[in-house]
Amino acid sequence: MGSEVKLWLEQLTQVSEAFLQPLSTTHPLVIMPLNILAFWLGLKLYRRTGTPLLHPVVGASLLVFAGLWLMQVDFSGYRQGSGLLYLLLGPAVVALAIPLKQNLATVRRAGWPLMLGLLVGAILAPLVAVIIAALLGGSRTVIIALTTKSVTTPVALALAQELHGIQSLAAGVVAFTGIVGAVGGPSLLRLLGISDERIVGFSLGINAHAIGTVRALEVSALCGAFSALAMGLCGALTALLLPVFATL
Amino acid sequence: MALLKQLPRWVLGAALLVAFDLAGRSLSATFALPVPGPVLGMILLLLALMLYGRVPTGLARVSERILRLLVLIFLPASVGVFFVRDLSGGDWFALIVAMVIGTLISFAVTALLLQRLIQPTQRRSTPGSHLGEGQHNGE
Repeated sequence: MGSEVKLWLEQLTQVSEAFLQPLSTTHPLVIMPLNILAFWLGLKLYRRTGTPLLHPVVGASLLVFAGLWLMQVDFSGYRQGSGLLYLLLGPAVVALAIPLKQNLATVRRAGWPLMLGLLVGAILAPLVAVIIAALLGGSRTVIIALTTKSVTTPVALALAQELHGIQSLAAGVVAFTGIVGAVGGPSLLRLLGISDERIVGFSLGINAHAIGTVRALEVSALCGAFSALAMGLCGALTALLLPVFATL
Repeated sequence: MALLKQLPRWVLGAALLVAFDLAGRSLSATFALPVPGPVLGMILLLLALMLYGRVPTGLARVSERILRLLVLIFLPASVGVFFVRDLSGGDWFALIVAMVIGTLISFAVTALLLQRLIQPTQRRSTPGSHLGEGQHNGE
């Protein structure tokens, strides 16, 4: 019980110690302003243009990448400088319980059909991707990385380790899937004539996890609540099912 | 003065989020559960809020703020995409097609399935009345 708390405290001291290091391109005082500036500019750009293709997830990450490229910083250096954000990742996921609680009555009314949809979605999302990749002759590494695609990054990283996939590849697949789902999903549903915010939110949560939830929260609190619910349940379900399937 | 009054609430809200995160992680590690700690923490907090009956003001405010910053918090994970290099050309092709087409297919299928499941009353009424009519004619 105490070991996780100790681990967290270690992480906390690591983050605060990083601030005391001599100034360099991987220093938090360089990386964090880059992150915040990219986020702010990405948000402005998105509001100005209004196209989902320039969603802050896309715009901000492109801007950060451009900044890192200019400063010649690699990914491990960037991760080190972004320690503060990694520390906030857990509490941010926990905070999703609040929109869930505030919309609980609506979620309850939808009841068992949602659970059935969840089960089908959680199995379908990785399965379709794996089948397509297998048909196109993708290697084993690619296929393992794809099995984790519809769960949040922390889950995917844990799963990839268990299944001996490449962790960075799994993280990349998760982010890219989230972007595809968040950018294309709502427009696709509009084409199909589906405008029910509950369905849009739930589909976003199943297929585009946290990035989809960010998009869903922009639609409405209700949409966000359904997305958070789907993401949480889908993550749990995939994490439970995947190791079982992999050993078969 | 108003700010000073608000401060303890904010601190309490933030502390609650961290506490439930840690509780979820500890639970996940102790019982070797495959569910990640923060997700478990979210479920625990939801259960606690259901028992408590309402959301404390400070917790609601802090959560609202943190959820608005979600894109920023997930930025390091999103940037990771640009640093994946160690793959052959064919693998890249298979990967990208599978991600784009696969995600859109499963997205559409789940949404269409949910739409059918969530509004069964409308669908039930049509064949039901049709059946009744048929029986009546048969007699």
